[in-house]
Amino acid sequence: MIKRIFDWLKQPLGLIAVGIAVLALFSLAAYGIYTTQQPPEQPIQFPHQTHVAFGIQCLYCHPGAAKGPAAGIPSQAKCWGCHNQIAKTQTSLLLAPLKDAVTSGTPIEWVPVAQVPDFVQFNHRAHIAAGKNCEDCHGDMSKVTIAQNPQVFNMGWCLNCHVETAGQDHEKLVKLSDCGTCHY
Amino acid sequence: MATLADLKISEVKLSEEQTGKWGMVIDQDICTGCQACVAACAMENNLSFVGEVDSGYGRSMHWIRIERFWEGAYPEVKMTPNQPMMCQQCGSAPCEPVCPAYATMHSQAEQLNLQVYNRCVGTRYCANNCPYQVRSFNWRDYERPEPLSNQLNPDVTVRRRGVMEKCTFCIQRIHKAQDKAKSEGREVVDGEFTTACAQACPANAITFGRVDDPESLVSQLAHRGHGVKHLEELGALPSVTYFKGG
Repeated sequence: MIKRIFDWLKQPLGLIAVGIAVLALFSLAAYGIYTTQQPPEQPIQFPHQTHVAFGIQCLYCHPGAAKGPAAGIPSQAKCWGCHNQIAKTQTSLLLAPLKDAVTSGTPIEWVPVAQVPDFVQFNHRAHIAAGKNCEDCHGDMSKVTIAQNPQVFNMGWCLNCHVETAGQDHEKLVKLSDCGTCHY
Repeated sequence: MATLADLKISEVKLSEEQTGKWGMVIDQDICTGCQACVAACAMENNLSFVGEVDSGYGRSMHWIRIERFWEGAYPEVKMTPNQPMMCQQCGSAPCEPVCPAYATMHSQAEQLNLQVYNRCVGTRYCANNCPYQVRSFNWRDYERPEPLSNQLNPDVTVRRRGVMEKCTFCIQRIHKAQDKAKSEGREVVDGEFTTACAQACPANAITFGRVDDPESLVSQLAHRGHGVKHLEELGALPSVTYFKGG
């Protein structure tokens, strides 16, 4: 039985079938990896590049980054603070969900893009205080619409920067390469 | 540039030379055994509620427990004082060298025993090697019925089935205090923060702080003389000092 299958596969037709199957599997895997690297679907196609072009600082909308662990996503009240003074907001199709959210009082459900796993305790404040800029990790926001990750957030990437930052300072290296600094 | 490999070499020191950084003093004479520390710890550190059945199998999960022993033979039985027992954060911890996955590491920066949940593969070797029996294992993903899921502490990892866990000396509070002090450009002050168990204790039987700072309350208490360290003869260098009959 098995021998008959092998014989059939050795025919030109069989070889083509095997080729197609391998190709299909490979492209499926590639597509699977590709989808994990795509920014998620957001309730509003928020144009970061437009806001950055107007000269708005990152910390104006995400002030938590300088103060504490989470940078935070601005409330719709903050969006509305500027947008209710802009005539285009009333007619724009893109901003209709924001208008709806403010008038009905229901929150906009943004999907977080830059996330670390639950077992990693990340603090924005320490990184800003160490002189890191937002774009060092989050990429250049003047080029993207919805925020997307310029790299995969994994431990090797974190640790490379930690060791580099410590440099010759042994005490700093001990602190920055300690498991307990991020995992607890 | 200093590398991770260099760090490994400098780590190889005699354990007797290490003084420890954070420590605790527990006064058993004023402990009433009220279990407030046990409850506070469970709330602070997202402990699972194991339930009756699994507890019956000895799978209860506590990072701190109140021990009591019987002395003498029946009917002349005498109860020993209440003894709060948690991870002693040993300077030369027996749990650390036995982990095949390097999940239980010694923190060089904070001088604590760490449990890295994402590295733990659940061999339970560390718990079996711990002379204080203070490690607990997640035998299941225990349920948190609806209102309880809202009380989880966001600063502490919610552990999954198959990993070991233990007292961390509330390392999340240590980091929070250090972060706050650094943002204000100063050092952490003694008594500025404490662990959940010490905070909840109504009798102030638990004192927490820096043992390497001779001015701190905890090191002054620890050097009073009549304190004991449990199972000191094992050479594990525990950081918790107990007072009994003082």
